Amino acid sequence: MTGAVTSIPGYQPTLKSRLWSMTQQTLILLLISSIVLPILWMCITAFKWPRDVYSLNSAFWFEPTLTNMVTVFQHPWNLGSKIINSIAVASGAVALAIPMATLAAYAFSRYEFRFKKTIFLTVIASQFLPGAVVVLPYFLMFKELGLLDTRSALILINLSIVLPYAIWMIKGFIDAVPIEIEESALVDGAPRWRVLLEIVVPAAIPGIITAAIFSFTLTWNEFLFALILTKQDALTLPIGLIGFRTDRGDLWELMAAGGILITAPMFILSLMVHRQFIGSLTAGSVR
Amino acid sequence: MIKRIPVYVWLLTPALLFVAAMALFPLVYSLVLSFREWKLAQTDIPGQWVGFDNYWYLLSDDPELIESLWPTLIFVGFDVVLTLLVALCAALLLQKPSPISSFSRILLILPFVMSPALIGISFRFFLNPEFGVLQFLLSFLFPALEGRIWLADRWLSMTAVIASDIWHWAPYMTLVILGGLASIPKETQEAAQIDGATNWQVFKDITFPQLKPVLGIVLVLKTVFALKAFDTIFTISNGGPGTSTQTLAYFVYHTAFHYYDLGYAAAAAYLLTALLMVCSFFYLRLVFKK
Repeated sequence: MTGAVTSIPGYQPTLKSRLWSMTQQTLILLLISSIVLPILWMCITAFKWPRDVYSLNSAFWFEPTLTNMVTVFQHPWNLGSKIINSIAVASGAVALAIPMATLAAYAFSRYEFRFKKTIFLTVIASQFLPGAVVVLPYFLMFKELGLLDTRSALILINLSIVLPYAIWMIKGFIDAVPIEIEESALVDGAPRWRVLLEIVVPAAIPGIITAAIFSFTLTWNEFLFALILTKQDALTLPIGLIGFRTDRGDLWELMAAGGILITAPMFILSLMVHRQFIGSLTAGSVR
Repeated sequence: MIKRIPVYVWLLTPALLFVAAMALFPLVYSLVLSFREWKLAQTDIPGQWVGFDNYWYLLSDDPELIESLWPTLIFVGFDVVLTLLVALCAALLLQKPSPISSFSRILLILPFVMSPALIGISFRFFLNPEFGVLQFLLSFLFPALEGRIWLADRWLSMTAVIASDIWHWAPYMTLVILGGLASIPKETQEAAQIDGATNWQVFKDITFPQLKPVLGIVLVLKTVFALKAFDTIFTISNGGPGTSTQTLAYFVYHTAFHYYDLGYAAAAAYLLTALLMVCSFFYLRLVFKK
């Protein structure tokens, strides 16, 4: 054992271990910059005049402008209406998904019934169907129902995408709530729905909020269905972005401005709940 | 006496009914469609029944399908392995608690909540031959890349698509692996270190074996999402140049919404579904094995 006590406090680091820790620091720095720099570059681009975008000579020294931020809201880009559509679709899907998911998650967490595990797994597995496979039947169905290019169609589809994830996440949080309080309330004669509303939901609220934000993010960024099922009235932000690819070429400075608009809300939301977010993201797939 | 319907049925009904309807309908509909001929460009109603013709053509004759199997294999293979490697290395680097590592953990959420379409668009921008900042940086580091047009070259184009997907997914997978690392008891690692084991030995003989279940999950989950990948391919390369980045998922989309060959697209979709079902089976077994 002598001479090998390498991780005891107060131990004098050797040159080799110092080099190793410097390498680690450098690698972490590299990691951080590979995440931050592209995002930063996009943000800078949004405030450049086109002439500065199309030349690397003025990569950092340029005259900033708000023109792009204004232009994207004007005709023909009208990102304003796309933001409203995106907010409506994402809020609609979340508002429907969370109550439905909470009820189902409670049942999966607290009741025993036949085929419980199979049913649960099938719900999760429904998310493994590729969008490219299901989009064609949806397209034909919504065409039949006259729902093409409507927010309702997008809300329904996104609801079906986020429900399984939301059930899974909320179930994890309800599982962690001790069952004793519920049982004593039930013994005292409280009806089930009051137990659910007044005991379970408040206790699982961090999980419910996390699931809501996760669902909002998925819907907000959803691309394939919006691409195929909308045309003009119900266009969402991600589809608005590819509108900047025109016959005259790609309008990068406008894409960057739109990029900030689509990204900033997600960053703010996810940073607000990052602690629970990381916890449930990781716990969800490990549990 | 009528048996009362148990409470859990009421609780489950709204969600399950909806999920079942939204998942089963397209599955059944595609299956039916895959046995028919329907070229939307010619007619608005489904055509005649053709039996297994769509599948036969798919598996025996269609050059474009074969051409899209290679990109699928290459994309999924490299994407999955590299994402796993990057995420594992990043997780090991950030494992030790320190201010910089908790700061990095927060940053790791950002790429995951970004729109994949935007990530694809940004990669296109960064790789532009004239003013792309990444193209500039890379040609500085590797002079061989100078003057190359990334998205006009089949291998570079594939590299770009894979890189953008790694940028989107590796940070999330890092968080998952960090979760796995946190659940490994520290005592054995410390004991081994005190006994003189090197960092590499500790990783190889103690950490890695205990991390295997989590890595398995990451592996299968990433395979599923790589097979499903569409947004970044659409925004970076549109499957091009030629069909060099056209994966099976993109092929299905292209057949249905550019060639309007609906029956044939449905048959191709079923091939992809079969692949995915195999993956999800393994995934669910890994996750819920008790």
